[in-house]
Amino acid sequence: MSGHVKNMYPQLSISQAARTLLSLLLVAAIDSVNAGVACRNQQCRSPIQRSSKLTRLIHMESVDLLKIYKASQGDMSELFCQMPNDIVPDPNISGLDPSERMLSIYSHCKAFLPHLKRVTEQQRDLQPPSSPLLNNLTTAQYRTSGLANQINCIYQTLFPNLPIPLEPVDGRTSIYPSQNVFQQKVYGCVVLKNFKELLSQITHELRTIKNQMCKSRTFAYTNALF
Amino acid sequence: MIVSFVLTLVICFKITMKTTTDGLFPLCKIDRAFPSSIDLIHGFSLGSIATYGTIIPQSPLVEIGKEFTATCVLYKAAKATAEDIFWMLKNVTVPKEQYTKINDSAVSVTITITNETANWLFCKKKGSPSSLNLIQVIHGIILTKGYPPEKPMNLSCMAVQSGRRISSNVTCTWQPGTRDERLKTTYTLFGNLIVSNKSSNAHRSSGYIDFGTFPSFMELAMWVEVENKLGKVRSDILDIYASDLVKTNPPSDVNIISENNFSRTILVSWKHPIHVTYVTLKYNIRFCTVGSGEWTEVPPNDTESYKESFRLQYLKPDTEYVVQVRCMHHMGNGYWSDWSANTTARTPEDKPTSKPDLWRVVIPSQVKSERRVQVMCKDPVESNGRIRGYSIKIQDGNWETVAVNDSDLDSRSQERKIIPLYQIPWSDKRRGLIELKAWNSVGESPQASLVIPKLTEEPPSVESLSWFTQEGRLWVKWQPPNVIATGEPYRSEVTEYVLECVSVSDGAMDWQREHRHTRTAAIKGNLQKFIRYNISVYPMYSGWTGKPLTIAAFLEQGAPLEGPSVKVRRRGKNYAELEWMEIPLDKQRGFITNYTIFFITGGKEHSIVVSTDTYSYTVKRMASNSKYVVRVMASTVQGSTNSSDLSFNTLMYTPGQIEVIVVSVCISFLFSVVLTVLCIYKMDSIKKKIWPPVPDPSNSTIAKWSPDFPSKADTPKESALGDVSIAEVDVFDRKSLCEEDKAGLPLKKDKYLSEEHSSGIGGSSCLSSPHQSVSDSDEGGDEGQTTASTVQYSSVVASCGYKGQTPCPLPQSGSSQMPSFARSESTQPLLDSEEHPEGPGSHQRYLRNPYFGRLPGRNDSHSGDLEDLNQMEMKKQGLASRQFCPLEEDFQQTTPTEECQSPDGQPGSDPSYMPQLSGYRPQC
Repeated sequence: MSGHVKNMYPQLSISQAARTLLSLLLVAAIDSVNAGVACRNQQCRSPIQRSSKLTRLIHMESVDLLKIYKASQGDMSELFCQMPNDIVPDPNISGLDPSERMLSIYSHCKAFLPHLKRVTEQQRDLQPPSSPLLNNLTTAQYRTSGLANQINCIYQTLFPNLPIPLEPVDGRTSIYPSQNVFQQKVYGCVVLKNFKELLSQITHELRTIKNQMCKSRTFAYTNALF
Repeated sequence: MIVSFVLTLVICFKITMKTTTDGLFPLCKIDRAFPSSIDLIHGFSLGSIATYGTIIPQSPLVEIGKEFTATCVLYKAAKATAEDIFWMLKNVTVPKEQYTKINDSAVSVTITITNETANWLFCKKKGSPSSLNLIQVIHGIILTKGYPPEKPMNLSCMAVQSGRRISSNVTCTWQPGTRDERLKTTYTLFGNLIVSNKSSNAHRSSGYIDFGTFPSFMELAMWVEVENKLGKVRSDILDIYASDLVKTNPPSDVNIISENNFSRTILVSWKHPIHVTYVTLKYNIRFCTVGSGEWTEVPPNDTESYKESFRLQYLKPDTEYVVQVRCMHHMGNGYWSDWSANTTARTPEDKPTSKPDLWRVVIPSQVKSERRVQVMCKDPVESNGRIRGYSIKIQDGNWETVAVNDSDLDSRSQERKIIPLYQIPWSDKRRGLIELKAWNSVGESPQASLVIPKLTEEPPSVESLSWFTQEGRLWVKWQPPNVIATGEPYRSEVTEYVLECVSVSDGAMDWQREHRHTRTAAIKGNLQKFIRYNISVYPMYSGWTGKPLTIAAFLEQGAPLEGPSVKVRRRGKNYAELEWMEIPLDKQRGFITNYTIFFITGGKEHSIVVSTDTYSYTVKRMASNSKYVVRVMASTVQGSTNSSDLSFNTLMYTPGQIEVIVVSVCISFLFSVVLTVLCIYKMDSIKKKIWPPVPDPSNSTIAKWSPDFPSKADTPKESALGDVSIAEVDVFDRKSLCEEDKAGLPLKKDKYLSEEHSSGIGGSSCLSSPHQSVSDSDEGGDEGQTTASTVQYSSVVASCGYKGQTPCPLPQSGSSQMPSFARSESTQPLLDSEEHPEGPGSHQRYLRNPYFGRLPGRNDSHSGDLEDLNQMEMKKQGLASRQFCPLEEDFQQTTPTEECQSPDGQPGSDPSYMPQLSGYRPQC
């Protein structure tokens, strides 16, 4: 595998540039989608409930995804996941009020998308095409993107007067340096582990926000607050 | 010029080829894009290809129901103006009203496109009179007709479970348009998510999109676009959350747990087909007993929650149940899954909770004043398990146990079998109570009882009973008994009715119980068509069995299975008594309504209809001694069946007629015999009565008196011989007549025969002859006619043979001998004595002595006299013949007639006088 990495190195630099370009295009596309998101449901409870369910689904699948990932990385897979990695976003949701925490959820979802994408691309080189890991990684990206859009809609619904920043509030989406296979495996495991943690926190946060925002307040009152 | 011509050919060829591929006629298609070419072809044509103009647009797609306008533009080569242009749709000219003249060389036409509009549109011009073709085609186009696409309706989509997740394929169906798609139409299914847009080609009414990952909990927009060359249309957008499209697998691992102490409940458990994070499900449970097929559904509210087990309640003990479970999104969105596979389980047994069905059948006994009672029963309706046995007690006896074999009873079958328990003799004067209990492995049933009353104290029966069929079932209707009973041993109120149904064909019986208020009930059980059933209704009085009222009924009637068996009981000259047997009840297949007797004779068929209680019939007015074919047809309301044909002949005579005839004939014969014997014995006296004795003149004293014998010899020979000769001929045979003729010829008696016959008494005499009258008329016809009523007494002394039958003797000498004719004018009737006058004054030539009529040789008292007389006459005749027959030889040679032959055809021997065989001599 190392040889493969060695041989692939020059190609990686080329493909990495292309991937970077693709990532930029994807981000641009998502941003453009975000800018034009048409949030159909103007109610409170149902979108949050649906997002909460989606989050739980992604979380459940992320658990399975991490298991599959570890199982598909061969020996020392547990070791990979214990190693620190600075480039992976912190899964903790920040903010003091619901809008900030909602915005943080959105930003984290957006922040994890390029990492998931990069892990998918790396594992596509490391795993056979029929590996379920690739499919699950793709599904995770797909669902996370959908969750980000739903959070965006909810945010716009609950806080129509607060703009959503174009760039994520936290987390870095800069272009990362090239990695060898070991680094890729470590990176992938950390991404998935943090991703699972993030989803766990989002699940909790959404439940909290739902209770806070939809329990006794009407939509008009919420608008008046913010 | 040559270069221009070649160039024109090349251009025209290319254009022609292109046009041909478009389906047009091989016309040279040149439009304004080639003005220089047009100019070049002035005055030229290439065979049948001419470039006179064009139609705009070319090969258009036209919409059915809309108007279409085409313009025909003339080239200079056409040498025509817009006035010469006309349009044709295939072979039909478009009316001028639809033309629009644009300029001198262009004319447009507007037509409304319909389904019937021809595909070809031609622009033509009228040719010059000098040209061969008066009409020339300028150009033609083909119209491709069609409809714009129709909007798909009722779009619905579904995503099924695949493995542990929802399939990424979302399948949609819709209702396409109803119009005929003449044009190529494409269907495209679109799916729009926030994160991605998908589309895929689809079929006419269905399609699917693969989203890669099912967009759970995401908003989804689905629609269909339909497009053809006439346009594009889009269905309504289906905005839906993806979870609402889900159809999961049915619940897995469905299991039923039966617990011993809970005989009326079972626990159903299953597993979720998909993780709850994908879909939160609700469930639906249904169950039924094995074999029934009638499902009972658990109220949906009871299974709305996300659970994996449910306890079914209020079930029957010892019953096998089938359970199925299905699921769907807990909010009711999406689709129900399919039902799970059948899962069966049996509930535990419980003790019987209802009475056994106790009944009895009374069998008549040959022992006087005694019956036999067959006690029988059926399992309790709620047996709650397999009945192992029965405990029975009759009157004051002990409880006895009757075990039931496993083979005799299967409580799990739907049909309740009849179990015979006891058959005991029962006195007509005995009243008794029968009690019965059933028991299974868990416990005993409640007790059933039945009272068999004395024969004299049986409660009354129902008032009336009738039956009818409805919806394939046999119903009976009855009126309750009119009970005014006081002081009776039973309660006067009817508590229930028992309907007993017995099959006549095989004796199978069954009974059922009906509520006391019931007046009409359908007979349960598997009744067969065309089978006769005897249905009895028993009113029950608190266990006392009332008198039955019975009626015969059919579930469905049909024609009899066979005809009656016919035989001829008696037959006579003009009648026949037919007899037939009643068709067996199991073969009647219905109530016989009548019998029809058909009898056929001489190709004609007659029929007689008789009532159903008639089993013999006498057919009268039949022809005697004729063959009859008879059959009897038995009829029901549903048809008829003939017996086999029976053939017989009527008699020639009535019975006794033959005997009468035989007796009569015998009596007649006997009488004849007696009469004959009497006649023989009394011949003399009879003869004397009929023919009184006539004195024989020969024996008279006068005859004997001969004082001078020679004087007698001087008597003219003619007279004497003639008399004797005639008498001989008249008495004896024809042979003698010949001899007589021979003897008579010399006497030249031309008409002696006529004279002989005419000597009778006119027409009344047997000796008379019409020829005589004719011969007489020759002599004096007028007189003969005028005196026809008078008796003429005449006598011919001598004459020739009558009309030449007897040749007259040729005159031997010149003196002809004239016959002497004497005639009497007397009208006095002849008497016997007068007919044979004995007086000397009469001119009797011969005697018609009755004795001459008798056969010679008859033995009578006068035979001797007659012989003497004959001998005497023969002697005289022989003498005469020797003296008066000189032409004997000539006569025999010239007239060899049969008369001169013997009866056997041989010529007569020596002429001699033979005895005559008949009384009268036939004429020769």
